[in-house]
Amino acid sequence: MDDIGIFLQILFWGLYAGCIYILLATGLNLIFGVMKIVNFAHGEFLMIGAYITATIFLLTGINPYVILLLSMLALIGIGAVVERLCFRPILGTGKLNEIFLSIGLIYVFQNGAAMVWGDAWQSVKSPYDGITVPVGSLNVPIDYIIIIAFTAAILIALFIFLKKTRIGMEMRATSQNRKGAMLIGINVERIDVISFGIGCALAAAAGTLWVVSGQVFNPYMGSIPAVKAFAIIILGGLGSIPGAIIGGLLMGIAENSAAFYLGGVWKDAVSFIILIVVLVVRPTGLFGEKGE
Amino acid sequence: MNFGRDKLIKYGLVATLAIAAAFPFLSDSMFLLNLLVLMLISIIFASAWNLLAFSGQGSLGHAAFLGIGAYASTLIAIQSGISPFITIFLGATVAAFIGVLIGLTCVRLKEWFLAMVTFGFAIIVQALTVSVLAPMTGGWDGIASPRLVSPSIPGYQLIEYYAILVITIASLIAIWYIMKSRLGLAFLAIRENELEARASGVDPVRYRLIAFAMSAYLAGVAGALQIHHIGYITPELYGVDNSFWPITFVILGGLGTLAGPVIGTIVLTIIWEGLKATGLTFGRYVIVGFILILTIIFLPKGLVNLPERLQVWWRGRGRKETFVEPQRE
Repeated sequence: MDDIGIFLQILFWGLYAGCIYILLATGLNLIFGVMKIVNFAHGEFLMIGAYITATIFLLTGINPYVILLLSMLALIGIGAVVERLCFRPILGTGKLNEIFLSIGLIYVFQNGAAMVWGDAWQSVKSPYDGITVPVGSLNVPIDYIIIIAFTAAILIALFIFLKKTRIGMEMRATSQNRKGAMLIGINVERIDVISFGIGCALAAAAGTLWVVSGQVFNPYMGSIPAVKAFAIIILGGLGSIPGAIIGGLLMGIAENSAAFYLGGVWKDAVSFIILIVVLVVRPTGLFGEKGE
Repeated sequence: MNFGRDKLIKYGLVATLAIAAAFPFLSDSMFLLNLLVLMLISIIFASAWNLLAFSGQGSLGHAAFLGIGAYASTLIAIQSGISPFITIFLGATVAAFIGVLIGLTCVRLKEWFLAMVTFGFAIIVQALTVSVLAPMTGGWDGIASPRLVSPSIPGYQLIEYYAILVITIASLIAIWYIMKSRLGLAFLAIRENELEARASGVDPVRYRLIAFAMSAYLAGVAGALQIHHIGYITPELYGVDNSFWPITFVILGGLGTLAGPVIGTIVLTIIWEGLKATGLTFGRYVIVGFILILTIIFLPKGLVNLPERLQVWWRGRGRKETFVEPQRE
């Protein structure tokens, strides 16, 4: 009985951690799909989003779930600037260059944030702190349920945006065939900026949800989740959004089980062990078609 | 305005060597000597990373090999009592062996998958070191490591400095030979066009693994030297910082060149220590980040390419349309 309780608890933690990974991985997938760039600094946008939310919340006391939108809007702007100034000049010069550039971005964002906000671990108490909802045999904090609902809502909104709106269709066209998209008159550079901005906004949403869940955060929080998000999109198959969702959930659950049964140091290591095993066994990912 | 490029390199090399060899007689500051030792070790480490990049493989977790070399050398030295001068190379062999295993998992994958696998591998090794291997490695607390030269010998710092200088020069000469040889040519062929390389009889898998082994070996040497120099080892050695530094050094100096890692390390160390004097803490990293980004965008071939760029600019000044952006390789 007790074992099942613990198992459910881990499952819920995993689901919650998975939500953050899904948002990060979906954003990365969007950027990778459209621009074919590898941005390891994606986690830094999560961190900036988290700090924007925390700062506004501490200053004004507005409900953090409302600030989510503000934070996402701010990150669309920051993302567009980063894309325009840093990634566009080196577009098409090779994946390694993009990776090295993102290392530069990691240095700038992490330590820039540390200059502004300090490098101590911080945490914020959500206004619904302490309220729990009974689910089966365990009490789940209501924040976790709101977070899961928000993630689902954001993903559905993204899905509708990609399927129904003109810009969404242009994004899909660009990701399928960049030259073809150019030929039919799509301004691919504009699409690049928009996709990068939306990807960053999704990272900001992940950062906000990280903060409101009451987890601690500091300027260096982003780099490992970003690499894990890459692991997730490789696991799920490049360019596959359902793959990213399933991969994110699996990763969240696997990680929390490992942290519980093997000890905290294995929390990060286990995701990479899974990644290496999957890459050795199935280089195209679990749900991947043919990759890039 | 025609100063010979080869001549410039030759003079630069001789001058650098002379300064390095004469340094202890010019200044008796122990702080500077220590800095110089760490800089030499960084040069070996950056060159090791560069050798792997030379074959088209960018690693984001080279700290793993730094750490494995250091731990293996320390543990062998403690268990067997062999002099660190020998265990350095034994430890590096262990690093090379593990490097081949990691290389095997990703030689057939796309170039940037390797970046992820190596990044993750450094985290896995760290987790192993502090959990399963903790009885041997001392966990997070680390263990004392035998000094390269026992502090009881008078002037041990000088002996250590010259020993490390000799190892650095030997490593650079070895890398130079590798780059010039058929092996280096094969690395280059794979980097530029894998399909054509295969068509002309170069087996990419085999040569990538060779590059991996050699790079991991040198990184292991650097790690072991560093730890025997400091005299203490902790799992911090596997940190992300240690994986990112060689990349920054090499990109600034010039990717895929012999002189690149050396110039990059020297210039960045001077900038880094200079900024330390101004009292910046996080600001230093922000500046390094900007330097890295600006180098990638505006000077993609690094500082070694700067004289050439200046020459082109000098000749082309006044005639706007003749300036041709040098093509990236």
